[in-house]
Amino acid sequence: MHRDLELVRVGRRYGIRGPWVLRGVDLTITPGSLTRVEGANGTGKSTLLRLVAGIDTPTEGRITGRPRTAYVPERFPSALPFTPVGYLTHLGTVHGLSRRTAAARAADWLERFGAGAYAATPMAHLSKGTSQKVAVAQALLADPELLVLDEAWTGLDAEARAELERAVAERTAAGGAVVFVDHDPRRLAGVPDATHQVVDGTLRPRTGQVAAPVGPHTVVIVQGPAGGRLPADATRTAASAEEPAPGTYRLTVPVSHSDVVLRALLTARPPWHVVTVSAPDVPPDEKDRP
Amino acid sequence: MTALLRYQTALLLRSQRWLPPVILYAVFLGVGVQSGQPVLDSLGYTAAGLLPVAAWLVRICVTGEPPAARACVVAARGPARAHLAALLTALFAAVVLGTAATLLVTVISQHATNDHRLPVPALRAGAAGLLATLACALLGSAVGALTNRPLLRSPGRAVPAMLLAALLSTVAAGSPAQAAVSGLVTGSESGRIPVSPLPVAAAVLLATAAFAVACALNGRRSP
Repeated sequence: MHRDLELVRVGRRYGIRGPWVLRGVDLTITPGSLTRVEGANGTGKSTLLRLVAGIDTPTEGRITGRPRTAYVPERFPSALPFTPVGYLTHLGTVHGLSRRTAAARAADWLERFGAGAYAATPMAHLSKGTSQKVAVAQALLADPELLVLDEAWTGLDAEARAELERAVAERTAAGGAVVFVDHDPRRLAGVPDATHQVVDGTLRPRTGQVAAPVGPHTVVIVQGPAGGRLPADATRTAASAEEPAPGTYRLTVPVSHSDVVLRALLTARPPWHVVTVSAPDVPPDEKDRP
Repeated sequence: MTALLRYQTALLLRSQRWLPPVILYAVFLGVGVQSGQPVLDSLGYTAAGLLPVAAWLVRICVTGEPPAARACVVAARGPARAHLAALLTALFAAVVLGTAATLLVTVISQHATNDHRLPVPALRAGAAGLLATLACALLGSAVGALTNRPLLRSPGRAVPAMLLAALLSTVAAGSPAQAAVSGLVTGSESGRIPVSPLPVAAAVLLATAAFAVACALNGRRSP
């Protein structure tokens, strides 16, 4: 994704004389950003996400800068006459991969989400959760420039939920944009670059960020070259960075992003040395209080 | 586009929803065509029967995919291209079916006019039959494209509209399909084999326009 996806005065209504679901929406999605969309049920969150994903065309206004997009619906049907690996191979080629790459990545992503055992089971026989894993794999397997997740976590088991958070972290670290809706306020808590609220059929940046919930963190202690500076990717992702001794840093990182930070540190030139990775002694939100 | 067509074809073939129209077409031919009948007459019957089948195949292709799965594909490729792939898959299936039926009918029929006096060369008859079949497949797909999602969404309206439109485009004067079929039927009387590309050209134009309208509206109307 090389340029911004921009929604300018976008409105959407169903039917020629139907009521406006959304109107006057301005939104800019920059590469590498994580955007959260909030709102009560029926306010038009899903409609907004369908516009962002390019599934629906706006009734008024315009959308420019469409990148390669992938979408995960909230509920994925298992009424498809394929096996997961067969479906994912088809979708991989639709996303522009070669058949061979698509098949290999399909197997990898199913394995990553703990659905490798069902790769060759007809989709009609899959449980709701496993179907949802197929939907998530479908979107991730072609490294999309824009990933749109409409309550994609719903129905996933705990391991797969954590894996999807890590996959989102990888995507944004690789320069892709991610837009998501989720009812759980702890989902990727403290990580989004922007949070928007759908209120009265339009979009507002969330104001009054008094009690933004803080999610679980990991503490990473690293040593760098003398006088070295932390890699930009690591500083950007870490919630806080302290320097208890010269050259030694103590980073507090959202658990979903620990892999991304470690990768940035270990692949830096020259590489950094990871001393310890541990759970924090004191939750960071309590420690910050006076 | 190749990937989309391959995906849509796999969906169509594996869903087995193609079985009812194909079986109905086979029954229709079984009733109306017998070996030893005049070839052009039978070919006209074969082509005319394909029109509603082509419309039905379009309905299967544009409604068969579950909405959530369709949303995933549309996000990847855009609403117009995703819809076009479904329409082209249905058209291709209708053409394959019609070609097979035409070849079979050409082989088993008597190569003569209705009064058994004038000979009708098999090759020219087959070519005329293929042109008429193509015109009917194209027009049937156009009917299917305009009477299903995204234009008419509820089955209660879409199915009667589709059947009525298919009937009208088979019998109404001025329709390319009617022109192609009646050319074969009158040719079977007179012995003049109609190999005019005009009905096919008109059907191509109509199908292109219908596909363009349907693809442009996909994504604009409600899901």
